Amino acid sequence: MKLKQVLAVTTYDFRQWHRNPRIVVTFCLAFILCFLLSDKAVKFAKEYDTTMQIVEAFVWTFGDSNSILLSSLLLVLLFADMPFIGSGTPFYLMRIDRRTWLTGQALYIAGATLLYMIFVLSATSIVCMRQSFVGNMWSETAAILGYSGAGQAVALPALVKTLEMSTPYESMAIIFALMLLYAMLMAFIMLVFNLAKGQLAGVVSVFVFSLFGFLLNPQTIKTLFQLPDELMYKANVAVGWLSPLNQATLHMHNFGYDLLPRLWQSYAVFGCLIMVCYFLALRAIRHYNFNFVGTEG
Amino acid sequence: MNIAVRVQNVSKDFGQERVLKNVTRDFETGKIHGIVGNNGSGKTVLMKCICGFLLPTEGKVIVNGKRVGKDVDFPPDLGLIIETPGFLPQMSGARNLEILASLNRKIGLKEIAAAIRRVGLDPLLKKPVGKYSLGMRQRLGIAQAIMEDPALLVLDEPLNGLDKHGVLEMRTLIKDLRSEGKTILLASHNQGDIDELCDTVCEMDAGVLTVIREE
Repeated sequence: MKLKQVLAVTTYDFRQWHRNPRIVVTFCLAFILCFLLSDKAVKFAKEYDTTMQIVEAFVWTFGDSNSILLSSLLLVLLFADMPFIGSGTPFYLMRIDRRTWLTGQALYIAGATLLYMIFVLSATSIVCMRQSFVGNMWSETAAILGYSGAGQAVALPALVKTLEMSTPYESMAIIFALMLLYAMLMAFIMLVFNLAKGQLAGVVSVFVFSLFGFLLNPQTIKTLFQLPDELMYKANVAVGWLSPLNQATLHMHNFGYDLLPRLWQSYAVFGCLIMVCYFLALRAIRHYNFNFVGTEG
Repeated sequence: MNIAVRVQNVSKDFGQERVLKNVTRDFETGKIHGIVGNNGSGKTVLMKCICGFLLPTEGKVIVNGKRVGKDVDFPPDLGLIIETPGFLPQMSGARNLEILASLNRKIGLKEIAAAIRRVGLDPLLKKPVGKYSLGMRQRLGIAQAIMEDPALLVLDEPLNGLDKHGVLEMRTLIKDLRSEGKTILLASHNQGDIDELCDTVCEMDAGVLTVIREE
């Protein structure tokens, strides 16, 4: 397997973005989603006539697991053509091997997810640009949201622990990394099922994965095991570890005073799961039957 | 007799349906072997099994002594054209071939230009492939198949979309390739192509391969 061949396959996939309506629609929808999700924070700043740090809209919006879930689901549209087989694919395959082709696709998935996340970050920054500043300090809006409890009232995860233990850019970097890893894991799961069981199974796997994260909340655990209120923290910790969606949520981490996963542990969990998916995909590609559009006869 | 491609007891299932039924055939080196059959008869599936894109449910395919899917993923030294050659529409024909040739670096710009010229196209043409006619794309597909000078060519409907003059030119090219010692597997709906070009002819019908003409 040669790096140049891997990169050629990845580049070929990115070249398919040229004038591709599906890609344009995905990014337009992502912008609309960012606009709608970050609207609460922006409206709040307008209402109180306060400024915002430029990445605060991103931090408050995607500090919430539901927002992460919604934005990552758009990747299903971005990767709707998975496993990226077109009428040009046979020309590539004949000159490389199955492993190289798959590694190229994996690199494409990672690259495309990274670009998508950069777009989401940029879009939320653009949405709040008019009343924002770039300095690395929390704004008045953040202070009101965090310390007055107004954040909870409008369902924004502006938590005191976030404000006191990190800076805006640090929080942004952490949330960006967690979201990226979560989205990449989702895309790799889609790839594995796509190769092993077909396209429909790939899409279904994404929804099952998302549903698992969505439904697995502390309340469910509490009800399931009939835990008393004083043991609710146990349910919280269990969800923090078991749900990939919660592993991707900043405030569901251990900042030194509970048993939730630490950030490095979440990075490691995501990293390991992505690698497992990659190796499963390598296994699946060995027996994969390539079907190209327009060649049935 | 040198055998370029050996297909041994190959069957292929898609779900409950058996698309290839115990196909056995040796394809001799240096000849043009025609495969005819209606749409859906299984001839493209057989071609894909030979190329390694599809793995047989039963049986084996051996190309130049190597078992496809076991010794090699895809047979080395093989050129291929399928019904609808896919190129990057925003780039010129030559640029498309340069990208493909860069994958295994067997040839340089000189050989690419020669292949393009050989199929009757201009290697200096800057027009993007998206603006090519169907016939020009087909010619570019053939150039892509022959540019690395492979010993075995798998050509599935290579003359689709060509005008009368183009068909005559490509027939001559295919005959020239045979005289250079290439082995060619040719699938076509056109009886005229098969009659004029092929040394042996097989017919695929409902997944069963029958020899209808030996040399």
